[in-house]
Amino acid sequence: MSLNLLKWWQTIKVSWVKYTAYRLNFFLQIVGPVLVFFFIKYNLWSAIYGENPEQMIQGYNLKSMVTYHIWSMIVTMIGQGHASYNMSEDIRMGRISSYLIYPFNFWEFHTASFLSFQFLQLFISGVTIAILVAFNFVELPSTYFLFHGVLYTLFISLFWFTLQYMAGLLSFWLEETWILRVLMGIVTGFLSGYLFPLDLYPDWLVSLLQYTPFPYLTYYPIKIFMGQPSPLWIGYAMIGLWIIIGATINHLIWKKGIKLYTAAGM
Amino acid sequence: MQSIISSQKLTKEFQSYKKEPGFLGTLKSFVSRESIRKKAVDEFSFNIEEGEIIGLLGPNGAGKTTLMKMFTGIIVPSSGELSIMGHRPSDRDKQFRKNIALVMGQKSQLWWDIPAMDSFLLLQRFYEVSDADFEERIEEMSTLLGVKELLNVHVRKLSLGERMKMELMASLLHNPKVIFLDEPTIGLDLVAQENIRQFILDFHRKNNTTIIITSHYMADVNALCERLVLIFDGKKAFDGPISEFEKILGSEKNVSFTFDSSQDTAAEIWNDRDADWNENKTVVELRIPEESLREVSLEILKYLPVTEFNTEKMPIERVMKTLMENPEILRNCEGSGENMLCR
Repeated sequence: MSLNLLKWWQTIKVSWVKYTAYRLNFFLQIVGPVLVFFFIKYNLWSAIYGENPEQMIQGYNLKSMVTYHIWSMIVTMIGQGHASYNMSEDIRMGRISSYLIYPFNFWEFHTASFLSFQFLQLFISGVTIAILVAFNFVELPSTYFLFHGVLYTLFISLFWFTLQYMAGLLSFWLEETWILRVLMGIVTGFLSGYLFPLDLYPDWLVSLLQYTPFPYLTYYPIKIFMGQPSPLWIGYAMIGLWIIIGATINHLIWKKGIKLYTAAGM
Repeated sequence: MQSIISSQKLTKEFQSYKKEPGFLGTLKSFVSRESIRKKAVDEFSFNIEEGEIIGLLGPNGAGKTTLMKMFTGIIVPSSGELSIMGHRPSDRDKQFRKNIALVMGQKSQLWWDIPAMDSFLLLQRFYEVSDADFEERIEEMSTLLGVKELLNVHVRKLSLGERMKMELMASLLHNPKVIFLDEPTIGLDLVAQENIRQFILDFHRKNNTTIIITSHYMADVNALCERLVLIFDGKKAFDGPISEFEKILGSEKNVSFTFDSSQDTAAEIWNDRDADWNENKTVVELRIPEESLREVSLEILKYLPVTEFNTEKMPIERVMKTLMENPEILRNCEGSGENMLCR
């Protein structure tokens, strides 16, 4: 293995040890999303459908609505599970100083930790979906769609990572970036199909959204998992494009920001 | 030969904004902000040769840490030249980063939630240290520092002293050519301080590493450094050997005598010696010129009931304290040695 790959691999291993350092926390990570799902989303939709679970709301009966939201949960777990809010704190408090000294770049370190987290998250999602399948809440799609669903969602996670990294880097200028993150979360929650299937929205909005990354973040992968084919390449191309744009912007922000960095409190 | 570290008129200016306290102050600051520019480091020049140990001293806020940050490439200088091993630190190229180390006493570089050994293994990869070298260095350093048993304990469970030793190991694993130690003994007990000093000295002797150290403990400086650089208000105020530094305030020696009974403070022998008596007139501190030290001490020892006799252990501590309390001394230092840079 090349020396640089060894650095990545060791960082992934160490991050893995860090993420699993606390057993209770690890356990909650598995159980948490499922509990939230049942207490909030399942109950909400059961109440909406009421006595008549077979009625159609924009083409969804209760069962398919539940299926949609289960996959939405899985997509969020894999795609958006990683939170890098530590990064802005690290920049503000001057904790990135040590990373600036290591002969392994800051972005490499963070990306490696992200990958490590994704291995963990993939495992947790696997367990979650296995439980839900075992209790007959949802059916697995064909191997083809399952494979593409997972692959595509991992692709999305890379996009989210790029975006979160950007929010983190803005800490070179801003005192607080959490408000940015909250806004980002709310807007995407609505526009990506996480809260409601996009089919519930007016047509003009849906066709407008086609040109933004939003529908490709949640709605699109859910459809793949539900085995409802749409041309796969469009999603990959859209997200790939946005990742490249985001990474380029990040590179520029980093170059400007690092000149401003004062390593406060070191 | 070219110096391993050389800086020419290195300057770092920070900009910050004034803000009045409270909510109104916040609103005001949205409309008009008054900016303050402060030179943390002001035209700092010096050269360091390979293998030197330099003590960088100065009061809090004098610019020591800002200098260290510029030396390690963490922050970019506002102006001036800086070259370390032929690299410009702010370029942060990998070859440069591979050959330096920074130890911060105030801040942990180890990962909190995992054992030190895991951090070491990661650093081994980062710095491309071979397995054989790695094992040998870990074995040697952990034995010297007495932390062999603690390598697999979570870092957050270590005491400050133990953690500091791990920090030192972590930053020396890759055998750096230049080491920056920013208050490495801060908050440690006397034995741990002593251990760490001894360890640094050993490491230096074996590897001829260039070391720059900042500390508020004069014992560190006394034990480790031969050369001192003093920084006041971002400017270099002194640069030279410790022996010269001790003489900034004159070459008199401070000596104290304890007697078994009260003495006559008006006696002739105390004249012109800056005699400083305690309340019972049983202890006196004198300043005696170097050349008459022997003669005067002999006389006192011979004729008076002396029970204890001390010469000052660390003159630099007194000099440092005096300078910090009266920085104007440095401004009026005409006629002093060539190492003084008067402003």
